[in-house]
Amino acid sequence: MSSISQDFAPPFKLIAPFFILGSFFYLITALFLFSINIEDLSFVNPQVLGFVHLFLLGFVMMIIFGAMAQLVPVVLEVGHFGVELFYAIWPLLLIGTILMVFGFLYSPQLLPYGGVVVLVSMMIFVMEIFMTIFKVEKLNLVMSSVLISNTFLFFGIIFGLLMALSYAGTIDVDIASLLKGHISLVIGGYITITIMGLSIVLVPMFTLSHGFSMKPLEIAISLMSVGVISVVVATLMDIVFLEYIGYLLSAISMLFYFYIIYIIYKTRPRKENDVYAISLMFSYISMLVALALGVLYFIVGSENLLLASGWLLIYGFFSFLITGHIYKIIPFLVWFEKFSPLVGKQKVPMLADMVPYKSSQAQFVFSAVGVVLITIALVVQSNILISAGASFLVIGALAFIRSVFYMINFK
Amino acid sequence: MLYTKEELFLAISTVIDPEVGFNLVEMGLIYDAKSDDEGNVKVTMTLSTKACPLHQMIVQWVKESVEKMDGIKEVEVEVVWEPVWNISMADDNVKKALGA
Repeated sequence: MSSISQDFAPPFKLIAPFFILGSFFYLITALFLFSINIEDLSFVNPQVLGFVHLFLLGFVMMIIFGAMAQLVPVVLEVGHFGVELFYAIWPLLLIGTILMVFGFLYSPQLLPYGGVVVLVSMMIFVMEIFMTIFKVEKLNLVMSSVLISNTFLFFGIIFGLLMALSYAGTIDVDIASLLKGHISLVIGGYITITIMGLSIVLVPMFTLSHGFSMKPLEIAISLMSVGVISVVVATLMDIVFLEYIGYLLSAISMLFYFYIIYIIYKTRPRKENDVYAISLMFSYISMLVALALGVLYFIVGSENLLLASGWLLIYGFFSFLITGHIYKIIPFLVWFEKFSPLVGKQKVPMLADMVPYKSSQAQFVFSAVGVVLITIALVVQSNILISAGASFLVIGALAFIRSVFYMINFK
Repeated sequence: MLYTKEELFLAISTVIDPEVGFNLVEMGLIYDAKSDDEGNVKVTMTLSTKACPLHQMIVQWVKESVEKMDGIKEVEVEVVWEPVWNISMADDNVKKALGA
């Protein structure tokens, strides 16, 4: 067994902090919702900005970065350039996130400091990924998606830092013109394209699907890339129609992505509906409803619909895709470290045995109800429904933390 | 020929994919296995996905499962991607259990 390379499974102690911190940030964001007053909600409200950064940096990015430590070699089929760099990424991301959130909520002077720390953390991540990609001899579509998404992240964080400096009064730039570009680069360009690329490897791997065409994915990634670039150029040069074309292309891109996922789902030989499968179903349904609400916003013009759409996109689509995959990634890493050396010597558990049934189901049910309640709350402008939804989300997040620790400590 | 294909397949059937819970033979992942009179064995197999993070380990487990047999000198495991694996190659009990 000594000849087996660790390239495809980095030490779990390197990745564990990302998942543990991410799960606690998931809880903190749920608690944060109790402080939200629906009358004050808008996309430039400091509380909303604090919440979004807490969620996207502390939960989404933290877990994506940790997962990438394991998934990049699987997807790129080469070992990391310097996997030890991940030991530096999570502490910097943690400190930067906290500084930025406190900056938005209490003291804008903290924003440049938080922004720089997040920037350093993400630059280390992006450079490590780029150096790993350079080891690949021939890029396929999924590998290209990693390159494209990380390029967008690079520019997204530059935009973010410029805004943080301006927000604190250090430099004078037009925040409004950078904001849409920043959102588009990070959410459309990085998170969504990363999800598109990785899920086309992972979903068929876990469902055993084969023989589907990759053309819809190619179209989806191309449209999203052009859409993101259109929004960035449009907002920098103040070309309104180009901005709307960018949004339209991004929305069509999501539909093409949904189409390929639907084909994989429909043709999957493995039909069990475990917590992974139902989490993904909820996630993709959330994505479709978010798109529908976004279209309605352009027709009706009510910002409530846009807020509900944004909420469903990040807390329905991103969250459930992430939590679903956590139930696959953590058992694999723990199993690889603890049980793979025992194969052939004694009975070892299957990966599914390592997922706690009750807490994973509780996490799914409570979180799903919470997401739906808050979506309704945002549409009908109800503070009581926000609190009700937040209560469900807190219980869901506690169950998620319990599941994470159960899987990590599985013996 | 020291061992028949069936005997070699029986030895390899002790290797279980921890994700799906079935052994590699009933999954249809082992395409061929043959031995010569001197105890040299060649196993031809595939994996359900090229991106399998357990690739190296599974190959090692297959090798070790055959090496446990008496008189085996050397085991070569070749992983091929043609024909591409699909669920129709699995045994009926696997298909039924998965709901395929």
